[in-house]
This record gives sequence, structure tokens and C-alpha cells, in this order.
Amino acid sequence: MKRIGLVILDLKEYIILTVLIIFSLYFIFSNDNSQIRFLRAVAIGTFGTVQSGLTAIPNVFELQQENKLLRETNIKLANEISNLKESKLENIRLTKLLNFREENKLSFVSGRIVNKSLVQTRNTITINAGEADSVFINMPVVTVEGLAGRIVSTGRNYSIANILYNKDMRITVKSQRTRIDGILMYDGLQNLIMTNVLKSADLTAGDLIITSEYSNLFPPGIPVGTVTETGNLDNLFKKVVITPAVNFQTLEEVFILKHLPDKDRADLENSYQKKK
Amino acid sequence: MRFNIIKYPIILLALILLQKSFISVIALSKLNITPDIVLIAVIYIGIKEGKIGGSVYGFFAGLLLDILSGSFVGLLALAYTVSGFVAGFFKTEGDRFLSKYNFLLVTFICSLISCFLYYGLYSQGTSTGFADVMLLYVFTSATYTTLISMVILVIPKRKTLERGFTD
Repeated sequence: MKRIGLVILDLKEYIILTVLIIFSLYFIFSNDNSQIRFLRAVAIGTFGTVQSGLTAIPNVFELQQENKLLRETNIKLANEISNLKESKLENIRLTKLLNFREENKLSFVSGRIVNKSLVQTRNTITINAGEADSVFINMPVVTVEGLAGRIVSTGRNYSIANILYNKDMRITVKSQRTRIDGILMYDGLQNLIMTNVLKSADLTAGDLIITSEYSNLFPPGIPVGTVTETGNLDNLFKKVVITPAVNFQTLEEVFILKHLPDKDRADLENSYQKKK
Repeated sequence: MRFNIIKYPIILLALILLQKSFISVIALSKLNITPDIVLIAVIYIGIKEGKIGGSVYGFFAGLLLDILSGSFVGLLALAYTVSGFVAGFFKTEGDRFLSKYNFLLVTFICSLISCFLYYGLYSQGTSTGFADVMLLYVFTSATYTTLISMVILVIPKRKTLERGFTD
């Protein structure tokens, strides 16, 4: 302690000088004139340069901490990107549906697919719209791209529809270009086939197939698919393979058209068939 | 020493008043270069009393001048503190540096330091270059102050006077 006192006594002149200089600098930097502003700018610039030089020296512990933080941030950002992508895709889908809603004159109910089967011979989809939403049996199920199927069973809040890949589906269709009629059905394997097409019929790959006005179940003019392959079925008929307009693998939302078969027409046709 | 505690502040106050009132009469050129008579007194005190006396009296004299001038408070305080402290290095037995031309040398050195600090900081952020500041202000002011300090050489010292009376 005594030694410290002696050291202080030895240095008292310099201590006093330092204190007085500090006071002077305090007064100087209390001013707000152009010189002090300039000196402040220089001081900040110098301090920044020194500090940036020091930060170049790696600190292992800080780097570990920073890495951990960055990894966590990375995970969070990756999740956010994933959510944003999902939102973007949903936005695209919903925009298409909205455009479809505006373009289509028929009233309809929109629904989300909550379940679907694609690998059986009688494939169906379950939709989260039912009788409470005025969905009834035999109503057509469509998407922006075209025909998807037909309602075959309804509950209060859900309904089940046969899709085109169902052996029970029979749809009267026609070629948009040549107006050639045929019956669309699923062969139970992987193809949609247009039957009852004569060998001489003008049907080529790429022709658009739409629903026919002969059908009492579906409104006419709904796109069903395109011709992808034509060949001879037998001596009389052609084998026409159709690729559906709707991609059932990625299908998520559908519209149920509020269109029911004309009862008079159905009764008349049924009674005539019975008479025969 | 007690007498000095009263004497120095009175002398400094008188010189500060003189510096602020009449010194502009002998200003040189349009750059308004004036001698610093307060600094001469601070240097004298530094040589006479040492580093502490020089720096403390320098600080308060400078601060008072700063306050009276009203701009850049603390700048003269800093310059005078350092000058007074440096002058304290020339404190010797028999006040060798207060005699004859030694005092002029010390005054020139301390004035250079003081002017360098003052004008060096004052010219920051202005368009005046370093060489201009040194030539036009620092050397000129220091030289002028040194020349004026020659007055001290003609003031007869107590010892000389006593010797004169006894002879």
C-alpha cells in the first residue's frame, strides 16, 4: 500500500496532467461545432477500422455459438420457405379455381378431396361437401382442367365420387374436332378407352374429347381428355386410348356441378328400354 | 509560495483582461496573428513552479480565456495545460531558464506546442492544409509570442536590484 502511495507520489505530476487533459477534452467535446463534428467522425471511423480489424481474429467460442444460432435460424428459414412454397402453390391452385368459378355459368359447390384411391378397379374420391352443401348423387365432379367423375354416395358433410378410373363409369363423349361419338370407360388396368368408334372414324392423337349432349348425366362440352393412341380393336371398331384432362395423382380440390339428370328424359328412356 | 498563490492568479487575470482588450491593437496581417501574453505568463510560472504549477495555472487561465471568447471551450485550456507542463521541465536550481535568452528558447518551444495544439485542432474539418496551418499560424504566432516575451528580459530582477543597492 505504501509502495503504491509512493508510486502515485512519483507520478503525481503526470496524474494531474492527465486529469487536466481529460477535463480539457471533456470541454472540447462538449462543443458542437464543425471541428468537433469532424473529429467525432474521424474518431468513429478510426474506432470502426480498429474494431473491424479485431473482429477478423476468430473467437472459437463465439464461432461455436454463432454456428449454433445460424443452424437454428437455417432450420427456421427452411420451414418458412417450405410454408411459403406451399402457400404459393395453393395460391396458384385457388386462383385457377377462382377463374374457373367466374368463367363457368353453372352453379357449383367447391370441395376438398379428403381421401382417394387410384390403384383399384373402382377408384373413388371422398369430398368434404355433402347434402348440407346441396350435393346429391349423380352430380358431375369437375376441375379446372375437365371432368373428374360423378357423385355416387352422399352424407351430410361428405360425399363419394367415382372418378374416370372406375369400371362403373360410362360416359358418352365425342371428339370436339370431328364430332365422332363414343363411350368412355376404364379398362381396369391403366387406360381410359373410347369404345364404339368405327374403324373409319376420323380420330387422331391430340384430338380433344368432350362430354356429349347425348349424356343425361353430364352437361355437354366438358373436356374429358385427349386422344393419345389409336389402333384397331377388331374388324369393326377402333381402339382409342384417352389421357384424361385431369391429373388424378395431384388432384386436391374439385367442383361439384349442381346439375342433375333430366328426370323426364331419364324416365322416358328407361321405360322405353324396359318395353324393348 | 503562499504569496505566489495570490500573485499568479492576479497576474494571470490582469494579462487575460489585457489579452482580450488591447492585444488586438498589435495584431499582424489580415490573419490577425497576435502574441499570447497569457501563455508567456503560464510558461514563466511553469519554469518557476514546475510541472504541476505550470499545468494547473495553464488549465485555469486557458479555460477562463475559452469562456470569455465563448467558442470552442476547452481548446486553450488543453494547449496551456500541455505548454505549462512542458515549461515545468525547465525548472532548475537558480532559475537558469528564466535568465537571458534561455527564456526565449523555452517560450518558443512551448509556444510552438501550444499553437500546434490550438491551431491543429481548430483547423480540423476546414479546407486549410496542414502546411498552411503550420506556416501561417503556428510558426507566426509562436515567433510573435517569443518576440513579445523579450519584454521580460528588460524587467530588472530583484537580485539585480538588490545588488545594485548594495554596490
